[in-house]
Amino acid sequence: MMDEWSSGNILLNDPMRIYRAKRDAARKRVTDKYAILGFISSGTYGRVYKAQSKESDGRIHAIKKFKPDKEGDVVTYTGISQSAIREIALNREISHENIVALKEVILEDKSIYMVFEYAEHDFLQVIHHHSQTLRSSITQPVLKSLTYQLLNGLLYLHEAHIIHRDLKPANILITSSGVVKIGDLGLARLTHQPLQPLHVGDKVVVTIWYRAPELLLGAKHYNKSVDIWAVGCVMAELASLRPIFKGEEAKLDSKKNVPFQKDQLLKIFEVLGTPSERDWPKIKELPEYQSMKRLDHYTNRLAEWCQSRVRLNGADLLARLFAYDPDKRLTAAEALRHKWFQEEPLPTRNAFESLQAHQVPPHRRITQDDAPSMMPMAAAGSQVQAQMSQVQATAQAHLSQQLSHSHSNHSKAGSAASFASLSGGAGAGAHTRKKARLG
Amino acid sequence: MATDFWSSSHYKRWIVDRATLRQARSDDLQYVDNPEHLAFLNIFTANLISRLGKKLSLRQRVVATATVFFRRFYVKNSYCETDPFIVAAACCYVAAKAEESPVHIKNVVSEARALFSEYGIKTFPSDNSKLAEMEFYLVDELECDLTVFHPYRTLTTLVGKGAHAASQAEAGEAEDSPRYWGTGEGKLELSEPAIQTAWFIINDTYRSELCLLYPPHLIAIAAIYLTLVFNANTRATLQASTSATAAQHSQSDPARRSSRSSSSSSKKQAQPPDLIGWMAGLNVSMSLVATIAQEMIALYALWDRYNEDGGPDQARAAAAMAASLRGAQSHRGARTAKGSSTRSGSVPSGSGTGSNAETPESKDDGTPSEVVTPMFLVQLLLRMREARMADLAHPASGRPVAINKMLERTQAAG
Repeated sequence: MMDEWSSGNILLNDPMRIYRAKRDAARKRVTDKYAILGFISSGTYGRVYKAQSKESDGRIHAIKKFKPDKEGDVVTYTGISQSAIREIALNREISHENIVALKEVILEDKSIYMVFEYAEHDFLQVIHHHSQTLRSSITQPVLKSLTYQLLNGLLYLHEAHIIHRDLKPANILITSSGVVKIGDLGLARLTHQPLQPLHVGDKVVVTIWYRAPELLLGAKHYNKSVDIWAVGCVMAELASLRPIFKGEEAKLDSKKNVPFQKDQLLKIFEVLGTPSERDWPKIKELPEYQSMKRLDHYTNRLAEWCQSRVRLNGADLLARLFAYDPDKRLTAAEALRHKWFQEEPLPTRNAFESLQAHQVPPHRRITQDDAPSMMPMAAAGSQVQAQMSQVQATAQAHLSQQLSHSHSNHSKAGSAASFASLSGGAGAGAHTRKKARLG
Repeated sequence: MATDFWSSSHYKRWIVDRATLRQARSDDLQYVDNPEHLAFLNIFTANLISRLGKKLSLRQRVVATATVFFRRFYVKNSYCETDPFIVAAACCYVAAKAEESPVHIKNVVSEARALFSEYGIKTFPSDNSKLAEMEFYLVDELECDLTVFHPYRTLTTLVGKGAHAASQAEAGEAEDSPRYWGTGEGKLELSEPAIQTAWFIINDTYRSELCLLYPPHLIAIAAIYLTLVFNANTRATLQASTSATAAQHSQSDPARRSSRSSSSSSKKQAQPPDLIGWMAGLNVSMSLVATIAQEMIALYALWDRYNEDGGPDQARAAAAMAASLRGAQSHRGARTAKGSSTRSGSVPSGSGTGSNAETPESKDDGTPSEVVTPMFLVQLLLRMREARMADLAHPASGRPVAINKMLERTQAAG
């Protein structure tokens, strides 16, 4: 009888074989549950697809597929990336109307698929639609509603002790019913009782144009007020249809030391003036303070900048979001109580409520994946094929409106953000938006 | 999340009842002679994770998270169908990432291989991708719920000592989030050695399945409760088991100072009523706290019969403390009303064969003085798996299970 069981050697050498066989048999594959409709965008983390549930509700989702974590060019698989772990762990705990909801996570063939609720628009696309198609600024009711909902979602994150650390127009989504959804928690993390200082894991956080001055000056200790600065930048960008502080990022040197971000600081100083010790007493303690003092001196011209862009109370809110001293910067809760939000026009739950149909931005453009191996689409049924060709037609129609696209130009853009940096030259834009993820 | 335990995945999906735990062990029970051995496995696996954590320089909280992951994995799986060693390694690897202090997969593989070979485990793969593969299955089993709440936080909140709190929050924001279980606002002032003791007791709770059964704040309160019982009765042991300086501290400074009792002469007398007032102010279920405390004492009794040769220092210290706690329990046995009778079995024993760990003499299966060693448990795990595989290999033979030990026991019991 023991002879019969001599094949048990295999099992003794690989004791988990039975376990894996059991689990693999029970596992549902992504393509069993979803029909992939097309490709939305790509970034350092992986790719995002539009997909339709094969359940009876046929709901549309965005599926984010993480690339396996690789070290340099070596193809050895080292497990789930820190970024994916973060995004998964945080998303499993949170639930708020203004945060993109995670429906499920599917682990399959060394890839992670995060299935999110689908949002038809994002801030970047709205900005682009206004600057390129409508050629008019975003109206006050829309601007106010988008800003309010963004702050509302951020308040939820901050109360849960989560810093987002990568707020920018491309990461802030809007559903077709005009509800703002903060997305991409890949750089976000819990700040409650961290075991290591925040700067240890990630040397560089926040895309350069949205990066707060304390980070640019090398602060090791920072807090959720870095997100508030980014909200200021986003609000200003909504108001003017272009990034307010569009600096050039100084690259990490060969030893991965973080360089002094001179150009970005100058772009900020040109509008807000050079920070003084009176406004920001602790600035003296920041590592790059001496470098900063060598820069030319500027005076605050924010009021001037705001003219014709944001009026009165809106300008006052912006100034408070842009307080140099992180301790004096508004919190999300304070910002939501600001008088701008109390006066007419009041913010609305559907940010597009006041708009006529043609003013609402077009649907998200999707394309067919040029790397079909990334997501097997052959499994899709004929019904899906029909939908896909329809989608393609829609895509063609929108193509003329898009001058550049992160996917088609194959630049290694940090995110989908790059496709909107049209006014500044797409290539350079893609470059400066790139954000280093270290550690 | 960080603010609200009650809306966390931990509370919503991972606090389970005893029936679930019994069900989780039902396959394993077929392959062990004595159900108590499965309780010893809890001690063994927690020690294993703790030792691997030390080799990887993981912080205590990371080790605790890894242990919780491990326990959750075995809520859904059986020892007899899996390899707890690779699961333990994957738990450490994922926990380090989940707690934002990642370690390189290469280090985990090499340290795990070296450590596990001490237990005669030769099958641990040297290939990183095997551990990465296990990580994948593990995260799937955990349903991607990677945020774990621990009693340490409640402890630092309740005793309000700067030292621990500061080291934990050094880089974060020193915000006071509201406590999540009630309206009690008093803080208990504990001496440094007493806090240490409570901290170690919390460490020890991971050697059981308490982290699956109870919310962490109740475990913390039970640990504080045990600390107070322990300090009042066996100060000598405390002084022996803590460092020299710490012992000095507790001599000059009584083990526990209440924030309300100011005179030093009445300290010993003032303790019990003061404690009751403080406990009442916490607004938690005291019967649950008492149950947890009882289970801890049962764990220490069990641990007393476990001999981890050359184990970490902490294990020895804990064993010493276990002895003293057992003493404390027998002293107080009459006074703590429900005593051992309410203990409904932290040991995942089969129904009817409930092994009373705190009264080993009364057992009818197994010798009372039996001492369990890691090597015994490693052998047990291998035997369980072999027997299980033999059973699975002959599913249609009319003998679905070679020897159902649970059945045997039940029949023997009449």
